Order: sequence, then C-alpha cells, then structure tokens
Amino acid sequence: MKAPELVVSATPHIHSGNSVRKMMLSIIIALLPAVGMGCYLYGFAALKVIAISVISAVAWEAIFQKMMGREITVSDLSGAASGLIFAMLLPPTLPWWIIIIGTLLLILLGKEIYGGRGCNPFNGVLVAYVALQLSYPQQMIAWAIPEGDLMTEFPPLQVLRDEGVSSLAMYFTNKDLLLGIPIIGAIGEVSKVALLLGGIFLIIRRTISWYIPASFLLGMVIFSGIFWLSDAEQYASPVFHLLAGGGFLAAFFLATDPTTSPVTKPGMIIYGLLCGVLAMIIRMWSQWIDGAYFAIFIISMLTPLLDKIKPRVYGRVKASVSS
Amino acid sequence: MSAGSFSGGIRLSISDVSANKPFERIIPSGVVTIPLRQDLGGVCNAKVKKGDEVKVGQVIGESATPEGASIHATVSGKVAEVIKAYPHLLGGFVPAVVIESDGKDEWVGLESSADPLTTIQQAGIVDFDIKPVPLVAKLNEAKSRRANALIVNAMDIEPVLSSRSRLLSERVQEVACGIDTIKSIIGAASVYIAVDENAAQAISAIGSACGGAATIVGLNPKYPQAIDLLLVKSILGKEVPCTEAYCVADIGALVLSVETVAAVGRAMAEKKPVVDRFITVTRSNGTGAKNVQVRIGTPIREVLGHCGISVEGMGKVISGGPMMGTAIANTETPVTKEVLGIFVQHEKDITRFDAAVCIKCGLCVEICPVGLMPFIISGFSEKGMYSKAQDNDIFTCIECGCCAYVCPVMIPMVHWIKFGKAQIMAQRSSE
Repeated sequence: MKAPELVVSATPHIHSGNSVRKMMLSIIIALLPAVGMGCYLYGFAALKVIAISVISAVAWEAIFQKMMGREITVSDLSGAASGLIFAMLLPPTLPWWIIIIGTLLLILLGKEIYGGRGCNPFNGVLVAYVALQLSYPQQMIAWAIPEGDLMTEFPPLQVLRDEGVSSLAMYFTNKDLLLGIPIIGAIGEVSKVALLLGGIFLIIRRTISWYIPASFLLGMVIFSGIFWLSDAEQYASPVFHLLAGGGFLAAFFLATDPTTSPVTKPGMIIYGLLCGVLAMIIRMWSQWIDGAYFAIFIISMLTPLLDKIKPRVYGRVKASVSS
Repeated sequence: MSAGSFSGGIRLSISDVSANKPFERIIPSGVVTIPLRQDLGGVCNAKVKKGDEVKVGQVIGESATPEGASIHATVSGKVAEVIKAYPHLLGGFVPAVVIESDGKDEWVGLESSADPLTTIQQAGIVDFDIKPVPLVAKLNEAKSRRANALIVNAMDIEPVLSSRSRLLSERVQEVACGIDTIKSIIGAASVYIAVDENAAQAISAIGSACGGAATIVGLNPKYPQAIDLLLVKSILGKEVPCTEAYCVADIGALVLSVETVAAVGRAMAEKKPVVDRFITVTRSNGTGAKNVQVRIGTPIREVLGHCGISVEGMGKVISGGPMMGTAIANTETPVTKEVLGIFVQHEKDITRFDAAVCIKCGLCVEICPVGLMPFIISGFSEKGMYSKAQDNDIFTCIECGCCAYVCPVMIPMVHWIKFGKAQIMAQRSSE
C-alpha cells in the first residue's frame, strides 16, 4: 500500500467558518426590515436611492481596487453592506449624482486610500455622510412626505428644535415613533422596531456584541435624562430622544463597525457611552438637529486610545508581585 | 459539586462527533517502533540490542535521570533493530527500538518495590497530557511545594476526544487505587475529579467506587476548560501566577490526567507497566469514531486501518485533537506517550489559513480564555517585533487556538505566536 501524502501545518486544524462575507451578509439581512419600512413609506424613491448607493459603492470598490493593483474583493460584500448602510442615512429625494459622490468618498476616503479593508481609521459611511452634510446641506434635509395621517412635514427632532418640548405630544405618540409610521426622516432611521429587530439578529449571530449598542443607548438616556429630570419643560424626555432621530441606526449599525471601534469589552462600553453622550450634546446645542452620526465619527478618533485598555491577563497580578 | 467557569472559550461546532464508545483493544501484528524519548524528561538509554528476545513489559529504555520514566517493550518478540536517529513526533531525532512481534504476547511484571515512587518510575508512567512530564518529577515538585489538592482531570482536552471520560467509567477501580497511592505520596488533603457535567453515568460510578473520598466536579465542557490553568481556576478559584513558565503546584494543586491515575492504579495493583494508550480515533465528520486501547509503538497506519479510516487526497493526520494537535508527516509514526488522540481530515476538510489584514473585530480578544489580545501579539510576531510581543504577554498564551478558530479573516494567529516564542527563545540562547 502506498503511504498517503499528508499536509502538515500549525494548529488549529479547524475553523468556525466565520468570514467577513458572512458578517456582511448578516448586516445586509439585518437591515432588510428597515429597508422594507423605508420602501413602504417612501416607495420607489427610497428603492432608487438604495439601489444607486449599493451598486455605485460596489462599482467604486472594484474600480479603485483595480486601479491600486489590489485583489478585487467585492465578493466579501463589505462594499455592498457599506452602500446599504449609507443609503439608510439619506433622504429619499437625494439626486443620484450626490449619492454617487457620497459612495465615491465612502470607498476612496473611507477605505481604499488607507490600504483597504481593515486599515481605515474612520468608518467610510460616516466620512461620506459628514462630507455630504457639509457640502449639500439643503439636499440632505429635503425630506419626502410619506402617505398617511401626518401632523407635520418635519422630522421629530426638527419639531423639537423649532417648536419646543410642549408641542411634541401634539404631533407624535411614542407608538408612532417606535413603528416609524408615519414619521419623516432618512430612509432607514425612522422605524425603531425594524432596526431593533435587525440589531438583535446581529447580536444573536455574534456579528456584533451588545456592549456598544447598549452603552450607546444608555449614554443617550443618562445624559438626556439628567436634563429632563432637572427641567422637563425645556428638555425632552429620554424616551423621545431614543425614539426620534438616528440613535438606533447609529448604535446598532454604525458604531459597531469592527475596524473603527475598540476591541475590548471595557473599551467598547466607554466608547458607546461617549458616543451616546456626545450625540445628545450635539443634538441639544449645535446647529445640527441630530448628532448621532457625527458623534461616532468624532469618538472613533479615540479608538486607538481606548484600545490601550487591555483585558486582565490570567495570572498577571500575582506574577507582578513576585517578580 | 459544581464549579465556576472562565470567561472566553468556545463551543466547537464539531463537539458532538466523538462517540463515547467502549475501548477496543489493538495488538499490533507486525513490527512496533518504540522511540526512546516519549516525554519531556529526556532520552532514555537503550537496554537491548539487535537480536535480543524481549517480552511485553520488559524495560528497553532506562532513563538517565532518577525521575525519568522507563520505556518498555509492548510486544513479545525479537529486537529487529536499534535505530540511532528516528524522527520524533515533535521534531528532532531520537533513538528508537524496533521489535518484531512473535504473536505470543508473553509478559513480565514489574518488580515489587516498597517505595511507590520507584514503582511509578519503573512502570514508565508520565502525565498523559499535551506535554507529557514524567510523573515522578511532577509528584516531587508537588511534594516540595506542599500541594494539598489533587485534581484528577477526566475531561478531554478537546471536545472531539472522549477517551478520558470513557476511561473513567470503564476503569473505576484502577482510578480509585491510583488516587489512594498518589494521595498518600503527596499528602493531599482533598481530591477532586473533574468531569464533563453531561457525563452523568461516569459521575455516579466513580462516586460510589471512591466511597466519598473524592469530590466530583461537573464542569461545563466549553473548550478549553480541561487545560490545567483553567481547571484550577474553576475548581479552586485561584489563578496560577504566569510569567513565562508556570507551575500549577505554586497554588498548591496537582493536576493529573485520569489516564495517568489509572496507570498508577494498574502499576500498584497488577504490577503492569505502561504499554497501552487509551485514545480516541476520529475523522473530522465523526465517522469511524472509536476509542481504542492501543500498544505503544503501533504505527498510526495500523490504528487507522482498525478503525476503517483512510485518508483521501492530500489529507491531514493529527496527533491529538483538531485544536491543539500536531499534524504528522507520515502514518508510519508510532503511537507514543505523547499521542492524545488521532484526528483525520480528508483533503476537502482541510482549513487553509490566510495572510489577510486584521479587521480589528475583537472576536479573538473576546474569546481568549487567558485574557490576551491575540491579534496584537500575532501581529507583532509577524512583523518581528518580539519585545513588543513580550510586553503583550506572548508567553502567557496557552496556544489553545480559539483566536484563529473564530477569526473572520482567518489569520493563522497561533502559528505566528508559536513562531514568535521560538524566535525569542532562539535570540536568548544566542546571547
């Protein structure tokens, strides 16, 4: 009998089967409820924005990878997932060319220029979002009006800014805000139920851990709660702040970007809390009506610092005493 | 008694493939090759020469040190050859004795000795763990550090193996006798037997056999719970101080595999030395999973043949389990005291790791059972920045493989960490 030829390599010899493609596919699946709500509210306009964003993001990714002489990795779905998340942040009326500029910035400044997947210091989706907010402020708040029994033509946070806390109860019930029907806003951020479903799916699939979303939302609640408790006439309740604006989308889908968030549990919790608090600060006192996305963009600069917080190494404490 | 767990670790997707089956005996029909080094205690001196007649249990290799374990003939027959340089399982070359079996299986027993340590040394008992250490050395160390807790590890290191739990349920008397002997040698005050909490049958059997002398601890079979560092943490609630080398006896504990304890029982009661290994043989999808009692020196080819497992294509044959085992180059490699199990992968089952860029997802940090940041250590090792790797506690790594197992971009982290450790050791020895 001929002896079999054998492969020899280092341990381990098996793998969980986890891959970037699987993680990105989970994110895409998790966003489907929010995509569905966006299409339900805004119809074909929303679908068009999503399609342009996803297709152009994938195309830019392939083009830049080709130009930069890298392996073309569009099949890992990270470009598609980024394009989809980006579309969630946009108003359904946005012209096609602005979307394509956005995805260009997303892929080029958010990813490829730094060396590709895993090397970017900022979340590409947020780079593109911030750039569009600064460059096309009018187009970015040109909201579409969904069908339904509408009391106002503005998103909840705009109403809060313009008319104050006392009028909120007149326009919105918590149930409306939770379901997102009919609430005005970006395509993917209005329905909190849809986002929560997607977020729980991601946590169960272990694509993300619960540390960042939970601490993010907790940071928002604590900060807004302090002001609400001190003066409920002037400051909106934490429940309103949770359910209005982009808190859920930011907490579950943007702050959890693996590359730009910390890697340890304590780091993630501090990161989430800081994001939540900064989101509220921007929301309350800046010229922008919502600060959830800006907050992550700014706090992700602290990630290298937060990664200095190391887990406790087994047997370490005693060793340092004895040596 | 139930005990705490540890943070991190994983549940392997293939945990259930090992069939908890009774041991089948394999007695080699042809030639056995017995390397004269099978533990960390050093090379033994050959006591036989070509043409000698030997019987099962006859000493063929005697340790150069008083603590080292002897090596015995495992078949009766004629010494065909004494090879000077035979490739060792973990690299390097050692002498080996080749014996041609006469098929008679004639035995010689151990000489009686008043000192149980002498019996253990002569019986060639080592601690059958990932790195086998001569048992006498381990017992002396435990005695000198006044270890008062004996932990019998009846949990298999890797969940696909089942030989330890099976051995505990089949050889209760031997284990009980072994516990008595070791307990009196080191003067242990308490004895724990760590078992998989799902192995209820074994728990009830051993409980009645020991008559309450040992505490049965059912543990969650999360990998790598059965590694001694995590075992003492779960059972005694204490961590072993780790710098570079660690010693479990530092916290007053002695952890021994159940196979070791059973071997002590067998040596004391039946005067039989170590000639058999109790191992699980399995294929990556679980087909042909068997527990076998196999003579040391039997070629792995013969064991696989007994289990009806063949390797398809350019496959892998692993000594040990899929997470920590060593891939072997040749199926003629004999079963030795270092082999914890045999795991076979066909060509299509082989995992191929990659040289991808880390995406800093933090999964490896989350699951590391000893609290390291594997991607950082691996990254520094890969770039040759060894002092940085040491600052991040590279030597605390137990090489369990959880990090590489969960990595979404399939970085061979254990490979880089092992490489880094080897480079640091080489640098030190050249200084």
